[in-house]
Amino acid sequence: MDWPPQSRRSGNARREQNLALIGAVVSGVVVTVGLVLLFLARADPVLGARARGTALDIVTPVWGVVRAPFDWLGDVTDTIGDYIGTVPRNRELTAELATARRALETDGALRAENGALKRLLKVVEPRAGLVAVARIAGSSTGSYTRTAMISAGRDEGVVPGQPVRADTGLVGRTVEAGNHAARVLLLTDPNSRVPVLIVRTGQPALAVGANGRLLEVRDRLGAEVALKVGDRLVTSGAGGIYAPQIPVAVIVDAGREPPLAEPYANPGALSHVAVFAPYLPVPQIADPEAAANAVPVPREANKRIKTKATAATKPAAAPNTSKPVAPTTPSPAA
Amino acid sequence: MNAPYRLLSPTDRVRFWTALAQRAVPAVVTLLLTVLMTAPLFASFPLLPHLALLGVFVWATFQPALMPPWLAFLLGLAADLLLGEPLGVNGTLLPLVVIFLRMFEASYGRHRYGFDWALAAAVIFVFEAATWQLLAFTGTDGPFLPLLIQAATTILAYPAVVLLCARIQRGLNPTL
Repeated sequence: MDWPPQSRRSGNARREQNLALIGAVVSGVVVTVGLVLLFLARADPVLGARARGTALDIVTPVWGVVRAPFDWLGDVTDTIGDYIGTVPRNRELTAELATARRALETDGALRAENGALKRLLKVVEPRAGLVAVARIAGSSTGSYTRTAMISAGRDEGVVPGQPVRADTGLVGRTVEAGNHAARVLLLTDPNSRVPVLIVRTGQPALAVGANGRLLEVRDRLGAEVALKVGDRLVTSGAGGIYAPQIPVAVIVDAGREPPLAEPYANPGALSHVAVFAPYLPVPQIADPEAAANAVPVPREANKRIKTKATAATKPAAAPNTSKPVAPTTPSPAA
Repeated sequence: MNAPYRLLSPTDRVRFWTALAQRAVPAVVTLLLTVLMTAPLFASFPLLPHLALLGVFVWATFQPALMPPWLAFLLGLAADLLLGEPLGVNGTLLPLVVIFLRMFEASYGRHRYGFDWALAAAVIFVFEAATWQLLAFTGTDGPFLPLLIQAATTILAYPAVVLLCARIQRGLNPTL
């Protein structure tokens, strides 16, 4: 029962046979193309960056509009909730403020001392500049990856590889960017690895996403010092993307290996996030192709190229062999 | 359409264009279902069902001629782009689902709705397991549990998508 019903006539069996054959060939071709794409994705994960950016540009405004009334509703319920819980919350905060004030007094002295020492040592600290503040407009709840779409893209200065944070803590980093939208790899994605420092012990570690609610704390230096529930993780600044001292997560399960930590920032509760410039930007490579070719040439091959190049510079050699093979070889002819 | 377009009467021309537009309905509906998968909900697991797979599956059983493997391939690529997965994961698996369904329907023909659902469940489970393997192949290693959860929600969402697609089909073409 095709729709619309096809006109079937007897006598066109041959035509149908041909169509079936073409259909089978086309099916085989598309599956093959899919497999080829998979191999390419394995070799080059940023494949199709432009197409991805365009897809983001198309979908993000849709969710930006659909989301607006829900945000408004959320604001209203939040306001009502604020009024309902005011008295117990006020008592709680007053008690907290008293302890915080005591801590602050010692803190101020430490900060002054730290500033003095840094001035003495002439410590250079790069400033992380704010790139854009954007609305969270979508997620990948329906898929295996844990990402969020935000409503700022290349036009606003957002490019892949920038840290994204909320007021409560780190959210992730940008991985794809269109003109008006970008995709943020969340901390909980299995591909996310954030270099962190455990505040109490000073141990460096990696906060690795596990595709669930919690992060795994892996590769901790000095693993014999046990972690405690409530230990705070902040970014260490290693790797150059995330500035140091951004709150990342808090340990919630220290008993098992690797220990589990819960991120401070919950993207579901956020409406806006801030995108920052990388803390220590990776130096731009002038010619990426030349750099890519520069790495894997074995020493023997280089030697051969060199002898060939020197042979080519001799006036007796054939003039058409002087083409340099690898751009990195300092050929005397150049 | 047998007569040349210039020879058609105005009503026939309208009918021609409507029929052409109706041919695009399965693709458009599946694409919209895929966009729905990017809703800004942040659950700790992939809770939303794989609606792109369900759309392709249901249309491949309702209107096999309007959901050919090459269309499933294009829809799969769109799903990969929208969901931020490596290009080719859904792009390979969705046409394979359509090819399997065509061969299956050719040899087993008509059957009850409950059987359809069981078949869908089997296909969904194999699809998620294959997704897991392909993601590992492209460098995203992770546990299987989240995909198992998605497989469960997808199986549960199957009747809803069937109802939606059936309603769309009936609404567009009441004579069928």
